Amino acid sequence: MAAEAAKDLSIQELEKEGQWWWIAEKKRSRRLDYLRKAVWKKGALGGNYAPGIKVDLEMPTLFTNMYNWWKYDPPMLRRAKALAHVLDNIGIFITDQAQLVGYFGSMPNTIAWRLDGASIVNEELYNEPGIMPEPEEESLKKVAELNSYWSGNTAVDKLARVLDPEDAVKFLSGAIGWGAPTSAYGYSGKDYEYIFAGRRGFLDIIEEIDANIEGAEDRTMGMPGPDILPLYERLQNWDAMKLILEAAIRYAGRYARLARTIAENFETDPKRKEELIRLAESCETVPAHAPQTFQQSLQYDHFIQIICRLEAHEGAWPARPDYYHWPMYDKDVNIEKNITGEEAMDLVGEFMIRAYEVGGFGPRWAREGLQGITGTWVWTLGGVNQDGSDACNDLTLAFLKAARLVRVSNPTFGFRWHPKVSDKIMREVFECIRHGLGYPSIRNDPLLIQNSMHWHGHPLEEARTWVHQACMSPCPTTKHGVQPMRMASATANCAKMVEYALHNGYDHVVQMQMGPRTGDARKYTDFEQLFSAWVQQMEWIMNTLVRTVNLGRFKDPEFYGRPFLSATYERAVESGLDAVSPVGERGNCWVTFFTWVENADSLAAVKKLVFDEKKYTMTQLMDALEANWEGCEKMRLDFVNGAPKWGNDDDYVDDLMIRCLREVARHSREMKCPCGNSWPALPENVSGNIHYASIVGALPNGRRLGDALYDGGISPGPGLDKNGPSAVLKSCGKIDHVGDGRAFLLNQRLSPTQMAGEKGYQLWKAYMRTWADLGLDHVQFNMVSDETLRAAQKDPEKYQEVIVRVAGYSAHFVDISRKTQDNIIQRTIQGI
Amino acid sequence: MATECKECKSFFPMNENPEKGDCVQRVVDPRQAYYKARPVDAGADASKCGTFSKK
Repeated sequence: MAAEAAKDLSIQELEKEGQWWWIAEKKRSRRLDYLRKAVWKKGALGGNYAPGIKVDLEMPTLFTNMYNWWKYDPPMLRRAKALAHVLDNIGIFITDQAQLVGYFGSMPNTIAWRLDGASIVNEELYNEPGIMPEPEEESLKKVAELNSYWSGNTAVDKLARVLDPEDAVKFLSGAIGWGAPTSAYGYSGKDYEYIFAGRRGFLDIIEEIDANIEGAEDRTMGMPGPDILPLYERLQNWDAMKLILEAAIRYAGRYARLARTIAENFETDPKRKEELIRLAESCETVPAHAPQTFQQSLQYDHFIQIICRLEAHEGAWPARPDYYHWPMYDKDVNIEKNITGEEAMDLVGEFMIRAYEVGGFGPRWAREGLQGITGTWVWTLGGVNQDGSDACNDLTLAFLKAARLVRVSNPTFGFRWHPKVSDKIMREVFECIRHGLGYPSIRNDPLLIQNSMHWHGHPLEEARTWVHQACMSPCPTTKHGVQPMRMASATANCAKMVEYALHNGYDHVVQMQMGPRTGDARKYTDFEQLFSAWVQQMEWIMNTLVRTVNLGRFKDPEFYGRPFLSATYERAVESGLDAVSPVGERGNCWVTFFTWVENADSLAAVKKLVFDEKKYTMTQLMDALEANWEGCEKMRLDFVNGAPKWGNDDDYVDDLMIRCLREVARHSREMKCPCGNSWPALPENVSGNIHYASIVGALPNGRRLGDALYDGGISPGPGLDKNGPSAVLKSCGKIDHVGDGRAFLLNQRLSPTQMAGEKGYQLWKAYMRTWADLGLDHVQFNMVSDETLRAAQKDPEKYQEVIVRVAGYSAHFVDISRKTQDNIIQRTIQGI
Repeated sequence: MATECKECKSFFPMNENPEKGDCVQRVVDPRQAYYKARPVDAGADASKCGTFSKK
């Protein structure tokens, strides 16, 4: 629908048409409308950056100059000094109408470049047309100069030199997993209990550091002995933490000064002048002191997030805003009535917009895997307090309402459902889904708390603080629970498990012997031989990834390190160790399982059609797979339609799925992370199912090389769930969502027509009751009709704001590739 | 004598140290309008600055 036509329609008429994006424009404040439209979208459009987006060369230049200058300093101090130099000198800006500030590039249209992470990422800059700042030639010269300095000196370059060469080659092949085993590209949890619940400003932390320095210096000047030797290094780390906290306070002060300068010299509107003065006061208060107002609380959080992103390329945004900002919201809106609900809504909406505008440079493979966004900012809402009582509040409602007004695709929400959640909150959750946002995803809170305790031994009260560490995995926000470094490379391309089991460990796509030689599948005489090969290949893939990641974590304080993050972690401030050190962390690792369900469907197809029914021989099957099913269409369709498929409540294939998961869970307990804890699996996909389409060979579920893989962690293949939504839930309910893995992503599509009105809500609620009764830990919904999506494909300009749930994240439909779009349309619309 | 930043309309000295300050400029890009600032020394050479505007 064109903008002009939409303007003439009433909100009721637009609702009837499902034109939620025009409704948002009509309902939101002028400020939110301006700020929302002001955002330069950083997510890649099907893999390419939008016109006008430029890589920021200021931060890399400032950082490198100072990093080089302090070359004789120990790692954390050297990095702290380089980052402090960035905070003191990078260009800053305040957008008109903004009440919150902070960005990690020097201009709104820039993407940050993390140049000390990996040379293989740095080299990708040369392949991106259009993102160099003008004059391009000068920028290219600068990039070459910076790349020359960092070549061989990045975190991954250093790690590659200590990795086993065979592991390194196989890992870097891109066939079995993705990511980079360093905190340069990790996701860091924030120690919200220390900072927000503890009501600490940076000056309070500096006081604690000073006390620790004093105590340690007393000891290093005292009785000689081995116990004082580690203190020398820790003293330097404490210096680094203190130095970076002071720089962060100065950085906020620069925004305060700019706000006052604008108010006193440029602004003529008295109301805006007042806002600018309030903004200045906000930046003078936080992060130096604990926040005193709701605005300051949000600003404090945003400063921490931005500075962390100046320190490392963070691919996720673990946060629980309705919980940690609630005290200041309650004070300002409900108790002291300093601001109105509408004013608070403007702040909440802008808080989301400030996160939406954040974007860093990522290599093409990462952009293809996360089409339309630059990371998975999944914010956690709802859940319980540490005593088990309902934690939902007015701010939960405000975030759910603001999401429908600003309609950003990032951040999204994961909602912690539990039996005490009120109907009022559930209706708001449903409204977001009904408005086609694709979020919140719904998480089973009691079950996931139990899961956290089961896999990682988090105590109950700590487990109850959990946030989404990335898309899916729960992680506490406590001293020993918070996770500083999620090594994204522990992400497995699981379809390779069955592919390698069939091909004796050989990868015909990358043409390399990858996995162990488990035997010639043509000679298999019963299914157990194939399953045994599958177990070996599964173990090999998990081992290779986890070995790499473990080493990356162990070496990270030396090869990278996070001074600012450390300064905001209770355990690091207390111990003087880098936050990324495994010491003091309980461990919260998981292996993300991309392209998982293909294993169960493929194994079931071979078992039924080759070994049980003997309709085909293994030789015939292997010939067909090696030919990519070419010339075997009738046989291929038999493997698609004549074999049971996951998601239909069919025990034949469901039992195989459970058998596979139990093998994985057994192995997950055997592997240990550097903290000594387990590595459970977490099946989900982001848009890895598209990225891996050209990397995974033909499979016995009838898939050809190049076809999109299944979209969800445990979602049935698109169009293959033929027995309705209850059957999908029943299949998924056969999984033990505590003991079989860390979490299991389920995508579902619902019909917007069926979900309309009160009747729609009641139907959805009944569906959710079944979901909870069957013990599933996750579900997320797309509720946009095929007609709208087809129309958006045909006329993308008119449907710029249509949002869809891709996998663990949402994206604007027009920003994802045609293949991903088609994959979403192919998903079965469930009538419930 | 060379032109210095402190002579420019865009230069705003810091209260605590007038020898240092911010170069503050208004920018209107295709999506938004904003004020940007970067730190400069009062005595920095501004003779080659394309946005210099005498106070």
